Amino acid sequence: MSEPAQYDVVIVGAGIAGALVAKRLTTAGLKVLVLEAGPDTTRSIADYTSHLETFYAASAKGAESPWPPAEAAPQPDGGDLFKDKSLPANSGYFIQNGPHLYGSTYTRTLGGSTLHWLGVSLRMLPEDFEMGSRFGLARDWPIRYDMLSPYYEQAEHEMGVSADVVDQRYLGLRFSESYDYPMHRVPPSYSDRVLGAAVNGMRVMVGEDSVSVQVRSYPAARNSIPRGSYQPVGALDVDADGNARRSFLGERCEGNTACTPICPVQAKYNANKSLAQADRRHLTLRAQAVASDILIDKSGHAVSGIRYKRYDDPGSIQHTEEIATGRIYILAAHAVENARLMLVSGLQSQSKKVGCGLMDHPALYVWGLAPFNVGSFRGPQSSSGIEDFRAGRFRTRHAAFRFDIGNDGWHATTGAPDATVNDAVLKQKLVGQRLRSHLEDQLPRQVRFSLAVEQLPNLKNRVTVDPSNRDKLGNPRPVIDYEIDDYTFKGMIAARKVALAVFRQAGITDCSSNAVELPFPVAEYEGEKFYYHGMGHCAGTHAMGDNAETSVVDEYQRSWEHPNLYLIGSGSFTTMGTSNPTLTLAALALRTADHIIARMRKHNPGIEPGPRRRKETQRVNPG
Amino acid sequence: MRIQDPRLHTFVALSSVLTGVETVQLFGTGQAEAYLVTLGKILPVALLDDLFKRFEALPAEEIEAAVEHQVLDDTRLGCVAQNIILMWYRGVWRRLPDDWRASFGAFPEDENHLISGAAYQAGLQWEIAGAHPIGARHQGYASWSLVPTKPNRRNTA
Ligand SMILES: Cc1cc2nc3c(=O)[nH]c(=O)nc-3n(C[C@H](O)[C@H](O)[C@H](O)COP(=O)(O)OP(=O)(O)OC[C@H]3O[C@@H](n4cnc5c(N)ncnc54)[C@H](O)[C@@H]3O)c2cc1C
Ligand code: SF4
Repeated sequence: MSEPAQYDVVIVGAGIAGALVAKRLTTAGLKVLVLEAGPDTTRSIADYTSHLETFYAASAKGAESPWPPAEAAPQPDGGDLFKDKSLPANSGYFIQNGPHLYGSTYTRTLGGSTLHWLGVSLRMLPEDFEMGSRFGLARDWPIRYDMLSPYYEQAEHEMGVSADVVDQRYLGLRFSESYDYPMHRVPPSYSDRVLGAAVNGMRVMVGEDSVSVQVRSYPAARNSIPRGSYQPVGALDVDADGNARRSFLGERCEGNTACTPICPVQAKYNANKSLAQADRRHLTLRAQAVASDILIDKSGHAVSGIRYKRYDDPGSIQHTEEIATGRIYILAAHAVENARLMLVSGLQSQSKKVGCGLMDHPALYVWGLAPFNVGSFRGPQSSSGIEDFRAGRFRTRHAAFRFDIGNDGWHATTGAPDATVNDAVLKQKLVGQRLRSHLEDQLPRQVRFSLAVEQLPNLKNRVTVDPSNRDKLGNPRPVIDYEIDDYTFKGMIAARKVALAVFRQAGITDCSSNAVELPFPVAEYEGEKFYYHGMGHCAGTHAMGDNAETSVVDEYQRSWEHPNLYLIGSGSFTTMGTSNPTLTLAALALRTADHIIARMRKHNPGIEPGPRRRKETQRVNPG
Repeated sequence: MRIQDPRLHTFVALSSVLTGVETVQLFGTGQAEAYLVTLGKILPVALLDDLFKRFEALPAEEIEAAVEHQVLDDTRLGCVAQNIILMWYRGVWRRLPDDWRASFGAFPEDENHLISGAAYQAGLQWEIAGAHPIGARHQGYASWSLVPTKPNRRNTA
């Protein structure tokens, strides 16, 4: 294309990855266009409140319930998994070939999946970057923990992560001297405290290792008490002209127990907070603009534009088609959509690995009744975890895992308290005082663990597209092949064994082992049934590596084949480890932003340098 | 101003026995009228009248046992009474069982549904758990770290 590009950088997707990069690039003075598929209905208190009302009024309160998609930008929904039990399952947005169902979802609304994420913000372990050289599995990342560490620090500040470094030095995790998180840890729940008192220091054998168990507060992107001069960012209130009004809501977590699916006060981080801190003079945000394909110039390499479909009414698929041009293009539409966009554009990459290596953390629930009232259904959905099994020699043989310790009773597993009430009224036929006493006794004793299990990149697990199967707007839908392998199944077995040992130690009566017909995808391994769920940790679809033969992007998430194209997000993960992916993808995004700034500066020295000498950015919540 | 349904007090008195929760607390949810309206929309007047009359005729002492035998054990009224309990605890209407519908009528509005967002928040289940509805009526920063306030009333039965 001979016409000059409209923008320095075109970003597809206003989730956390896109928002962090947009903030950093505009702050450096680069002219940025952000194309966002979903509607712009999440940045004013009034709009946000209507999502909250949608949640209150929803009969099924799943992760997507407050965030119904626009007709033109459909999204996967947890409910899809059960509409259609045979394979290929075709009733939702995904077409699932199996053999196992891919259980994860994401949100296509301005702000992306951080609208409904839980906020767990763990770093990957140093050894997670070195699975090839340490365990002979998969590949090493092209970067190491220490290279990412400064960006972890920046990401923790951008997102507002609450934790105390003293709790977080384990299994090789190291922090720079005098570093601490921007806010003190979110107070652990009462149930975390009593569980810790009962089990801390107990030892469990995993393979040849005797592992000491510790209930540990995890870093959370939820506002707590700030350290030093850090100013927590609460609820956004942006008006139609893009001006942020002052709002005092959400500067502390209030314990709404609803981080997933919607934090009522936005004490939990969402990507709109970062986008609002971008330099507005250099930012153009175009919502309701669904990127449909990537255009390549005559050389066959450089990207020359992004074609997108813009709609006016989220209830309709009426649209116009436009092309956005820039000098650099960044796909930040999340792992599945990034791969989908590449594939519909015929960009397979030399390695033919676009879409391949799809991962998640397939997770099991284990639940039981504590011997006394532990105050369930209060506080963030979880505030602590057991992290001691994220590393170990056993990783040569089976997956590592971590536990998230719920504060929300059996809500996630059985659908309590509703299910507990149903059981008491309809099955046990309780009424009156007996009913009330029964519920008073049972509900506050409900305990659950989520056992999130590592998954390795298996090239057969992948996203493809089928041009004969399109969404309403005409964009081919993602087709998913997904199989949980022996490595992960063995990890699941080990994880369940450890969880039950912890239950026994704490006197918690296991109520999960005999549960049948659970509303989750099921897989069988060695005669045993595993009901698992997706964690929303879609990853691996455009993995990074150190050469074009085996990977899709380089260490800066730059496409090997297309020098002005970047694919960012957890799609770039070489391996998964056990940490929830968002903090790591945020750190990678900031590293990419710095790389782009440095690259642009070579051609245009007027561009402001990276973050260290960054200008004070406009604050969202003044004062 | 709306005219109060004369059956409201009977409804709440019955509900109190069914739920084990004092009438003042039931009124305090702000949902009593809405639930009675819901019942009236779904079920025929005659059925509700029978339910309330049956309740009013019961002796005041040992009322819970009487309700169990005279209302809960009744094939026609029992399922409706259970639904009233679910309404108070969860804020939902549950579709009556198929055999009930076959015997006593399949009414068009008798479908599973949440009564309203407000009813969700008012569900007794949260309060009874010593908690708050997920996503609403938060208890305040760090409250979850404190010893739960409800004494653990163990089942003595
Ligand atoms: C229930 C749940 C709980 C989770 N909890 C955690 C947690 O505790 N910790 C953690 O680390 N992670 C968690 N995650 C994962 C986390 O939400 C994601 O890792 C993260 O939000 C991904 O960020 P992203 O910016 O890459 O993608 P997204 O946040 O998904 O943003 C992508 C954006 O791109 C837009 N887009 C998509 N397609 C197009 C297109 N064609 N054109 C234009 N725009 C497009 C979307 O609308 C969206 O706004 C959770 C996920 C779920 C589902
Ligand atoms: S616990 Fe509540 S207030 Fe705190 S972050 Fe989660 S939803 Fe928001």
